Amino acid sequence: MTEKNINRFHQFITWFKDRWSTSPLFSIFIALIVMVILQTIVLGFDYNSFGEWFTSWTNNWINILRNNASVAIVALGMTFVIMTGGIDLAVGATLVATGALTMTLLDVGASGLLGSIGITGWPAILITIIAVIIFGYLLGSLIGVTVTRGMVPPFIATLGAMMVFRSVTQHFMQGSAPRVPSEFLQISNLQIGNYMIMPIIYWILIAAIMYYISKRTTFGRQIIAVGSNERAARLSGINVKQVKFRVYALSGMLVAIAAIIQVSRIGSMDFAGSGRGMEMDAIAAAVVGGTSMMGGRGFILGTVYGVLIISVLNNLLNLFGVPPLLRDAFKGIIVIAAVLLQRKEKTS
Amino acid sequence: MLVELRNIRKSFGKNHVLKDVSLSIKEGEICALLGENGAGKSTLMNILGGIHQPDTGSIYVEGAEVKLTGPEHSINLGISFIHQELNLINDLPIYENMFLERDYKKGFKRVQHQKMIQETKKIFERMHVDLDPRTLVKDLDSSYKQIIEICRAITMNASVIIMDEPTTSLTDSEIERVFTMMRRLRDQQVGIIFISHKLKEVMEVCDSYAVLRDGKLVSEGQVSDVTTKDLARFMVGYDVRTDRLVQQRHRGEEILRAEELTYNTDFFNISFSIHQGEVVGFTGLLGDGRSELFQSIFGANDISTGKLFLYGKEIKIHTTMDAIKNGIAYLPRNRKENAIIKDMDILENSAIASWNMHAKWGIIQNRVHREKLDTLQKQLKIRMTGSSSSILNLSGGNQQKIVLAKWLSTEPRILILDNPTQGVDVGAKEDIYDIILRLADEGIGVIILSSEANEILRLCNRTYVMYHGHLQGVLEGEEMNEQSIMELATGGDAFISKS
Repeated sequence: MTEKNINRFHQFITWFKDRWSTSPLFSIFIALIVMVILQTIVLGFDYNSFGEWFTSWTNNWINILRNNASVAIVALGMTFVIMTGGIDLAVGATLVATGALTMTLLDVGASGLLGSIGITGWPAILITIIAVIIFGYLLGSLIGVTVTRGMVPPFIATLGAMMVFRSVTQHFMQGSAPRVPSEFLQISNLQIGNYMIMPIIYWILIAAIMYYISKRTTFGRQIIAVGSNERAARLSGINVKQVKFRVYALSGMLVAIAAIIQVSRIGSMDFAGSGRGMEMDAIAAAVVGGTSMMGGRGFILGTVYGVLIISVLNNLLNLFGVPPLLRDAFKGIIVIAAVLLQRKEKTS
Repeated sequence: MLVELRNIRKSFGKNHVLKDVSLSIKEGEICALLGENGAGKSTLMNILGGIHQPDTGSIYVEGAEVKLTGPEHSINLGISFIHQELNLINDLPIYENMFLERDYKKGFKRVQHQKMIQETKKIFERMHVDLDPRTLVKDLDSSYKQIIEICRAITMNASVIIMDEPTTSLTDSEIERVFTMMRRLRDQQVGIIFISHKLKEVMEVCDSYAVLRDGKLVSEGQVSDVTTKDLARFMVGYDVRTDRLVQQRHRGEEILRAEELTYNTDFFNISFSIHQGEVVGFTGLLGDGRSELFQSIFGANDISTGKLFLYGKEIKIHTTMDAIKNGIAYLPRNRKENAIIKDMDILENSAIASWNMHAKWGIIQNRVHREKLDTLQKQLKIRMTGSSSSILNLSGGNQQKIVLAKWLSTEPRILILDNPTQGVDVGAKEDIYDIILRLADEGIGVIILSSEANEILRLCNRTYVMYHGHLQGVLEGEEMNEQSIMELATGGDAFISKS
């Protein structure tokens, strides 16, 4: 190495150390890169050609991303909720409630709501999507009103909502086996150049919008203000109740979108099992991504990294052949490790 | 010599906070430690309290050199640090607070309530404190909380007590109570280091003084040898004005009029008015209800009954947004709890109240806000390195100026300032006074809420005095002086006004 190169190397190290100690997003991003490299190595290079290896690697990644698109979208809404200092435990239950509505509206059988009034095909699908998103908004609003008007702590309000939403859904859906029209499956399964990547596209789009909202809009910045110092926010002319109401409503809408993606992926939904533990996965992704449970600090980009880290981890555990029942232990360790990693020394 | 600090140096990164400072405290001495925010007072005291370790220099306690390893070490050596933010647990009774983390609760031993109560009573008798040890701390007013901290220090056999701005949130009579306590401690040979921005208090209670400026000890001596003016000069490095700043302006149109405002037990039948060209003061003792009154006018608390008129037109304010739309701005007291949003940068803290006024489609127009901040930075003489750094990097005075900038960006017609110079150093204080006067010249109605009579007297054309939620009287011109304010504030009615 020449003198110049050594110098450059030193500069890089200083820059790296500085970024590492000041930016939580940076350390998370590095952690993600390290895991992706590890995963790549574990996948192996035992292929005839580079092309073959690349195809296999890409397919593996598309699978990972597609499988995690719904929880990733839910985690984005969760991030906003947590940034206000709240929590939304009802996302899994909202998922089955909105999923159930999707299937009931679209059912091609005798009990299909839209079918029975003569609306079928793409118009029915369009109406369903709009109706389901509105329904998700309403369910979220219900929580929002309970939290803001009823002054019920978010943990309690959403815990209650979680039980109510799932139980009511299961009751009304018992014994019925709605089937959705095959066109509907196109929403998630449409192939683009041989790749089934529609869910990934929805995820990226929504993440981009959420990123913009969090950085540039009054709503996005007010979320930080409310989460950081609610009293000061109110005394600065921010409608704190409106901001809180909106994050729950928005979370409900994003869950509805996730439900539509999930139903259109496989054409059905298990109302007892789907979305169970989803709230924990979403919270974990947000926390790994640097969002503070105390509110006031959070990163949309961090949540995207968080989802990726957890999915790569799942993939790795799978590749290593770790027994399924042990996998959550690793997930738990990663969540705690991520928070430890971000715990920056306080400067006086 | 109880405690002596010799040639202390301390840096945080590139920031040299203390540059060779020496300080000593004798038995039975109250020493004022003075200096502007950022002069190094807190760091010096944190070193004595064992929270920070000095880079170089030595510490002597009763003649022996010590290396303080942590807060417990300092406490064991008899050095007690009473922080500005009191370290009490509101939901516990006094006696449990007295013995927090200490013997009677250690390990698996049974908590000895009776013993703690007895001990507390003993201390209270010695210090002439008339309180029931079983009272919950949250039911005490701020002065008694301060006194509990002092008593706790005594139970820990403190020979030196550091008091960091103990009087900021106290009213005059409460301050007197704390001072009495301090004098009693002095008589019992305890040394006290008293940190304060209020020079009048220093003159009243302290024996000696030490002034820090930019990390250096610039002056020390006996309080009896100097005046407040001298002390202020030592602190800022130049002569400070103390004159009355009130100006007679043309009394213009009526801006705001309140009629019979009443809320619950906070305030009753309050009527007042403010005209263009006026600076109006509201003063009183703790519990007078003035903050509650104006928070309610600003829409932050529940709405009161009664009527509000803005330029003769009745307005209804339900939320803080309504108030801002109507051109009312309110700078709250207790900056840290009520005004500063620590997770946002300087620009955002200065723009938060006016985001909605400029936003297009809900998108924040950062360019507009940055330009505004640039202008205000010059007008308010805000010292900062960049608008995207954390608000916490600024000194108290500059933080307060940012909060003021936040409200000036909403282009208010009425500016309500609640304790505007709380935790602000002498230089910044005068800057803020200048701004207030200029705003009044521009025709903005300025209302100042303050318990510092001096502040009111220097700035206000007219002063309303409140007592237990009632408007006790209004003073103007000649009749406005410290004595008349005090008399009304304590419930007297000799000065009930004609106007």
